[in-house]
Amino acid sequence: MRRFNLNLWLGGVLTLIVIVGAVFAPWLTSLDPVFDANLMYAEEPPSGQFWFGTDEQGRDVYTRVLYGARISLTVGIVSQIINSVIGLSLGISAAYWGGWWDDLVNGLTNVMLAIPSLIFALAIMAILGPGLPSLLIALGLTNWSWTCRIARSSTLSLKGQGYVQAASTLGYSDIRIMWTQLLPNMVGPILVISTLGIGAAVLAEAALSFLGLGIRPPFPSWGAMLTGARELIVIAPWAAVFPGLAIFVTVLGFNLLGDGLRDYLDPHMRTRQQ
Amino acid sequence: MLRFTIRRLLQVIPTIIAVVLLIFVIFSVVPGSFASSLMSDGRGGADADMVARINEQFGLDDPVHVRFFDYVTGLLQFDMGESFRFRQPVTEVIGDRIWASLKLSIAAMVFAIVVGVPLGFIAALKPGSILDSITMIGAVSGLSMPQFWLGLLLMYFFALILGWLPSFGYGGGDFKYLILPAITLGVTPLALLARTTRAGVLEITNEDFIRTAHSKGMSNSRVIRWHLTRNVMVLVVTTIGLQFGSMMGQAVVIEKLFSWPGIGTLLVDSVAIRDIPVVQGTILVIVLWFLFINTFVDIIYAAIDPRIKQT
Amino acid sequence: MMKTLTFSAMLMAGTAVAAWAQDATPQSGGTLNFTAPYGSTFGTLDIQTSSSVQDEFVAKAIHRSLYDWNSDTSQPELELATKVEVSDEGRTHTYTLRDAKFHDGTTLTSDDVIASYKRIIDPANAFAGARYFTNLVGVDAYKEDTSKDIEGLKKIDDKTFSLTYTGATEPGYDLMRVNAAIYPAGAADREDLQTNPIGLGPFKFVENIPGSRVVVEKFDDFYEEGKPYLDKVNVLLLSDASARDVAFRNGEIDVSVMGPSQYVTYQADPALKDHILEVAEVYTRNVGFNPEREPFDKKEVRQAFNHAINTPLIIEKLVKNKAYRATSFLPISSPAYNKDAKPYEYDVEKAKQLLADAGYPDGVDVELTATQNESWGLTIVEAIIPMLNEAGIRVTAKPVEASVLGAEVPAGDFHSFMWSNVSGPDPFAVMTSFYSDTSVSSGNYWRFDNAEFDALYEQARDENDPEKRTELLRQANDIIQEEAPMWFFNYNKAVMAYQPWVHGLQANATELAIQNYEDIWIDDTAPESRR
Repeated sequence: MRRFNLNLWLGGVLTLIVIVGAVFAPWLTSLDPVFDANLMYAEEPPSGQFWFGTDEQGRDVYTRVLYGARISLTVGIVSQIINSVIGLSLGISAAYWGGWWDDLVNGLTNVMLAIPSLIFALAIMAILGPGLPSLLIALGLTNWSWTCRIARSSTLSLKGQGYVQAASTLGYSDIRIMWTQLLPNMVGPILVISTLGIGAAVLAEAALSFLGLGIRPPFPSWGAMLTGARELIVIAPWAAVFPGLAIFVTVLGFNLLGDGLRDYLDPHMRTRQQ
Repeated sequence: MLRFTIRRLLQVIPTIIAVVLLIFVIFSVVPGSFASSLMSDGRGGADADMVARINEQFGLDDPVHVRFFDYVTGLLQFDMGESFRFRQPVTEVIGDRIWASLKLSIAAMVFAIVVGVPLGFIAALKPGSILDSITMIGAVSGLSMPQFWLGLLLMYFFALILGWLPSFGYGGGDFKYLILPAITLGVTPLALLARTTRAGVLEITNEDFIRTAHSKGMSNSRVIRWHLTRNVMVLVVTTIGLQFGSMMGQAVVIEKLFSWPGIGTLLVDSVAIRDIPVVQGTILVIVLWFLFINTFVDIIYAAIDPRIKQT
Repeated sequence: MMKTLTFSAMLMAGTAVAAWAQDATPQSGGTLNFTAPYGSTFGTLDIQTSSSVQDEFVAKAIHRSLYDWNSDTSQPELELATKVEVSDEGRTHTYTLRDAKFHDGTTLTSDDVIASYKRIIDPANAFAGARYFTNLVGVDAYKEDTSKDIEGLKKIDDKTFSLTYTGATEPGYDLMRVNAAIYPAGAADREDLQTNPIGLGPFKFVENIPGSRVVVEKFDDFYEEGKPYLDKVNVLLLSDASARDVAFRNGEIDVSVMGPSQYVTYQADPALKDHILEVAEVYTRNVGFNPEREPFDKKEVRQAFNHAINTPLIIEKLVKNKAYRATSFLPISSPAYNKDAKPYEYDVEKAKQLLADAGYPDGVDVELTATQNESWGLTIVEAIIPMLNEAGIRVTAKPVEASVLGAEVPAGDFHSFMWSNVSGPDPFAVMTSFYSDTSVSSGNYWRFDNAEFDALYEQARDENDPEKRTELLRQANDIIQEEAPMWFFNYNKAVMAYQPWVHGLQANATELAIQNYEDIWIDDTAPESRR
């Protein structure tokens, strides 16, 4: 009997709220996050007209938080996809082929682990300049080492199993074996690590914004909104509270979802990564 | 044991070489230069003539491979080059800051261990209880807040509203200046430690050898004392090692917010003004610290659990 | 000259809120916690090598230059010399040095001045200050190493020396700069030059905690009788504006430079509003256009840009009136400012019409390079994007770091850029940036090239009568407005909050946060930690 998985449900609901907000943003608000700026209405407190108040540019914070979800989720999901693709292809191929390739991948993973990802991202942002594509690249290139390690160790343990060897004797190509025999068997753990990674990427976006290397304005990202609004904390706290809350809810949602998934898929897996 | 230690140390060398190469390449293609950063204040502080002179003075006109060769030759003699901005050797510039960074890391880690580990144990005592849920959701919440936001909230609350602690700076190195940044930095490892401890305790209480121990008639308290603590310790030490090692890198945002004079602020500022020798040196120190801690943890690990050595 | 000076002096007095009682008697003693807000580190303590404002916070306590800026009269004044004789039609300046001591006890002589200037000029050093001396006689021979000495830099006796320039020159504006500070002769050979500075200033160096603070204490042999008042100054690094706000309200720091949002909050707070120092600074915020690229080659497009933006609204709502609306490039505090000039008015229809006249009835697409700065960067760009969009100017922002802006603009690698450029205090030096002979990399970022302007500039250069010269520069400034090489946004109003116990701050128009610490004193109401 499986007991009630609070993490999974709570995480799922929070995540769903954020995704709905992002997808249906144009239907949930009639305003535009960028062009509906009216300085006459700057720093209005929350009201029937502006649910979350307005920011220093006179833009509706509610609208910007909704559209911000699109940017933040894009940052989280796309960068995680890049990370997973890199981590999986390197990890599986390294374990499957072994030899010098394995050594090389191992070495590379060690290097990536040793350079803190925020600092690596900082360096990449400095080269590419602030903006959404650079951010996706920076966060997508710097967080694949755990995925790679897990993919590698799963492959090592699967490699010896009968059905993989059978596929090999049947003359399947290496790529096909990796794709059809190995990959499906590690979806669970990878899903968990990616879910957690999405949360981490949303936070990393906020940190980089704080360090002055965020997303190209005027498109709203929560990190940029929070960074911009922190000086308004006394006169217009709502401009900072709502994006801050949005980041918190999103990251909390993905973290709980990741934990819940882990419990759901394999209660024993928890301990193998921090 | 000695052979294991030496082998682990040797394994680190290729990583260091790769890191040095990587950061050198990254910062030789970065746009902007130290000279151009001098012009960015709009005061017309530098003109074309001076920019050319500066580039020449710091050897920035030399081909990349020449600069790399010079850099590596210097590194082998423990010379990280000279800072453009401070006009001092990079080793001295970093040396001035490293103690503040270490102090912050250690304080944050102590805070995380002292609070996080007991919290994890308490949560694991009654899995599924309200206390467990609150503790764990609390821990995840700690992982879900932007650091600078948390720091700012603490600053407002403890410095401005309560007036208990100074809001920023290093003072003369007094302890009270350390508290707020250390707590802010410690929240993430705290949450991770609480989770790891809880999971470790839960997993191990389920495992066969404990059941075996029970069936052998060992008393409950002895079971807990022997198997549980040792096995949880391995997990906890691993988490501590990883967190402690990466802490200097994670402290960047917090140091900047609290004006803490560690190497994190030094790094961010040096990236901004393209003081490349300092940037390279700082990243190298952060990486070396990570590798040092992790190698150290591996060796401890091997001492706790001799089976590790064979793998 | 007197007339224009009085005008700008009046202006200073008008903008500066002199909240402290003028007749209060300064008290001696106490500690000041000053903040350095422009970054989280100081560079070298060898100020001659530096060109950053941030480093001046420390240097201003420790060092002195030949001239100093007088915030009351808004002009450079002799500082280290008691008198100067100008001869040779303004080419030769002969200085008599005052009696002053360095912190190491040695007395200031002509040799110290000459050694310091030679070090600054030395091409091998690549110091920013070298450009103050470019038209000194014999400087080229020295730079090319054909001469050990500089002909125009002559010692007459221990207390007298002269500077001879190739043309009539007013050296005060350059030689008042902090990085033209005088060191003891032989300082260049000292090992600890970077870490243990010795100067002529009112305070001597005590300690430096890199990344945190520099501490200086009273120098008893300072040349001004009875000064400095303070025993000690802590120059604290605190770059984050929100953290600075908390620290100031918490009484941990004595002064705080403010951004627009804090300006409003502080003005609205009865406890804080009486202790705000304001000054019209000499920086002009603008969006510069590249006239060599379409569509900015058309004057109509550049003017349309100015008409399309509701500048007063941005200044009121976004900049919170922490700025003065710009008409042309020279700021309000400049003697050559034309106070009768009318700014480009906000008129979307006119902007559309101008675009159509220029051959762009469907509007134009432009790229705008800008940094994250809240006063002259992306915050402003975000506000003008919707306004310009309405007039048919579609702007794509290109965010860059400040160091990249400093590389791309002088290299001419931009479509348009947003920046804050120095526009004073010397109007002639400012106008040099728009002279067609000035290269992009040397400051003509707008690639301004206008024959009429050049003629006026050359006349001003050759004019010896200060009043006529100012009038010529005023006309030249009007041409800049008509040609619209930029969107004229605003002139900065610098604002600094100070604690009620702090007195003697100066309304420094060149850079408000840089203060002469020797004039500052604190009264009995200061908290225990400062006494």
